Amino acid sequence: MSSAATNVTRDSNRWERAVPVYGFPVVNGFFISLSVLVLIALVLTAYRELAGLGPVSGMNDAYGWGIWKTFNVMVMTALGSGAFAVGIAAWVFRRKRLHALMRMALLTSFLAYACGLLLLGIDAGRPWNFYWIVFPWKWNMHSPLAEVAICMSIYAMIPLAVENIPPVLERLWYFDSRLRPGVEKIEKRLHYFYPYIIAAAYLLPGMHQSSLGALMLLAGERVHPLWQTPWLPLLYLGAATFMSFGCVAGTTMLCCLVWKRGMDMEVLDEAAQITAWLIYGWLGLRFLDIMFRGALGTAFHFDRFAGVFWIEVLSISVGAWLLQQSLKTHDKRAMFLGYVLSSAGGMIYRFSPTTLAFRPNPEALYFPATIEILVSLGFISLGVVGFLLAVKRFAILPAPLHEWHDMASYFRFRRPYIRWTGYFKFGYFGEDEPKPTSGD
Amino acid sequence: MAITRRELITGIAKAGVPAAVAVTAGSQTLQAETIPVPSAAVGLLYDATICIGCKACVSACAEANDTLPDTRVDQLHQAPTDLNDLTRNVIKLYKAEDGSAFSFVKRQCMQCLDPACAAGCPFQALHKDPESGIVTWTADKCIGCRYCTITCPYHIPRFQWQGYNPRVTKCELCSSRLEKGLKPGCTSVCPTGAVIFGPRPVLLLEAKKRIQANPGRYYQNRVYGETDNGGTQALYLSHVPFEKLGLPELGPESVPAKTLRWQRRLYQYFALPALLYAGLVQVIRKNLTGHEHDALEREKETGLRAQL
Repeated sequence: MSSAATNVTRDSNRWERAVPVYGFPVVNGFFISLSVLVLIALVLTAYRELAGLGPVSGMNDAYGWGIWKTFNVMVMTALGSGAFAVGIAAWVFRRKRLHALMRMALLTSFLAYACGLLLLGIDAGRPWNFYWIVFPWKWNMHSPLAEVAICMSIYAMIPLAVENIPPVLERLWYFDSRLRPGVEKIEKRLHYFYPYIIAAAYLLPGMHQSSLGALMLLAGERVHPLWQTPWLPLLYLGAATFMSFGCVAGTTMLCCLVWKRGMDMEVLDEAAQITAWLIYGWLGLRFLDIMFRGALGTAFHFDRFAGVFWIEVLSISVGAWLLQQSLKTHDKRAMFLGYVLSSAGGMIYRFSPTTLAFRPNPEALYFPATIEILVSLGFISLGVVGFLLAVKRFAILPAPLHEWHDMASYFRFRRPYIRWTGYFKFGYFGEDEPKPTSGD
Repeated sequence: MAITRRELITGIAKAGVPAAVAVTAGSQTLQAETIPVPSAAVGLLYDATICIGCKACVSACAEANDTLPDTRVDQLHQAPTDLNDLTRNVIKLYKAEDGSAFSFVKRQCMQCLDPACAAGCPFQALHKDPESGIVTWTADKCIGCRYCTITCPYHIPRFQWQGYNPRVTKCELCSSRLEKGLKPGCTSVCPTGAVIFGPRPVLLLEAKKRIQANPGRYYQNRVYGETDNGGTQALYLSHVPFEKLGLPELGPESVPAKTLRWQRRLYQYFALPALLYAGLVQVIRKNLTGHEHDALEREKETGLRAQL
């Protein structure tokens, strides 16, 4: 076992294994400020439940939906579709390298969906009636919103949650050798159901991410013609795929930068290539649709809609171009910027039909109230707090193999007073603990 | 172990194509997209040319529905500026910019034959009665998502923004008064008969009779609501363009039929999603075996437990 540790080539950056982020405290200034934001949001949520939506938000009769739905749900779950898009690439199209990113994808998806759903419950005026969700014969099967509400909650609570169990089980396995038979039994059972769960984890987001687009179909001409199209569901789904690649790969790059991890350019190049192709396809569909509907002229009017449209399109295409460039030059900075720009453009796209390009009547105005923004930020912070906790306590972030052994020696020599970390008890890593000698 | 791309494509094609054809072909007959007119459809006929804008209907509506008068504008008069959480019925004034034409308009729920609000409502809180055709709101089923305020092409349902127990307000044609044999509040007080209540076919005949009696008096010699948006149970006659009165030209096809056609087809009997699911399970089952095999090999190489 220890020979494996010494034979590792230290300069290899190949991501072989998910390793917890060690040597950095969980609680730091950033973490505390995020937690404060979460606390503020929780207090304000209590106020919202008592006072109603009017006093806490800028929503009005014309703009019935505020940023809680249109940003925290529509935009953030698109960023959190990594488990869907990266998962399909890895599991269905057998891009084997992308398996290295799967745990990051699953975690970010779970957090984005969980926080979005929490805010969806707060945004609903009469949330106690959500119990109808357990009676399928009461659903309005043809309502896009029913599809979204039902499908999203099932997806986050069953397939996504189950897919996030393996890192937890793994930690239990390392935590105490007495737990291992039990953990292995659960894992075996889990693996039996895995194909069914994973398949559901691709079908359900495919359904509700497209239904999110179908939501605005019913709004008809009140959505600006640059956005309103029968292809809205497909475009929403497409935006979710490249945005989530950007979110997963971009977040992983950022984490590697912050916590000084090696970056596996083979994996990242493959992800960037896929993202670039997804964006090209999406942009092609978007422009073809606009041209065939004859709405291209409105893109050259001098108004805010055309402005939003060009910012969105330019940021997405420049992002794709940067990604393509980074494949040739292996410039990590360009790649990261490409992910940021393309995802930001995608965020604008997903935000537009409900808010930026929604024109219920000429005099209607909507701008989120302070409380609304604070609650929205608080629930995003909740996701980030969960993410920080998870990557520092569970093996999520991919790393070169030597990182695992470095972690062991770090705790053995640098922090000997830490009795256990979950993964290394008394300095052992992975191997079976020696049997206690009887009698002594 | 791992299936080839050819196998994947042929596998999907073999299972998928016949089923997909069956579903799409079948759905055309199954999902009849013609809108049935409710057997005892009742409605309103509003004639903008004889409305004098006295707003008696506004206060009668609040009284009939047991709502507080909306005095929020000047703290004195019941003078709502638009439909809101206390106002199911409102009289508005249209004035042409050059002063050449003006018209009052009474806005209340149109009771569409194929209502977009009910099509979007996730748990059928907004429901169209199959007999009378009245679209009613049920408090016990509403989750307060406000999707109805987004979908309604006439922008009728209004959400109550204050309080912990918000309600959705819309005209329900005074269905509780109808049960007692009374007419809706607004029609029972109208001094000029600008708004009348009755079965939809009767109202339609009456409207056409008025158009015939006064050719040229009415805009396009047409009843708004006969076919617009798939047909509505509240019918309008006007001398100014309907669009100026807040009644958009939506065409003869209803908004849900127009926009949710593919959504409805794709989810017909859940056949296509189920098919896709079965295909995905097959593909993933094969790929999972290959992935587990690779992971176990790495486990032997590195001496560290495989991470799936």
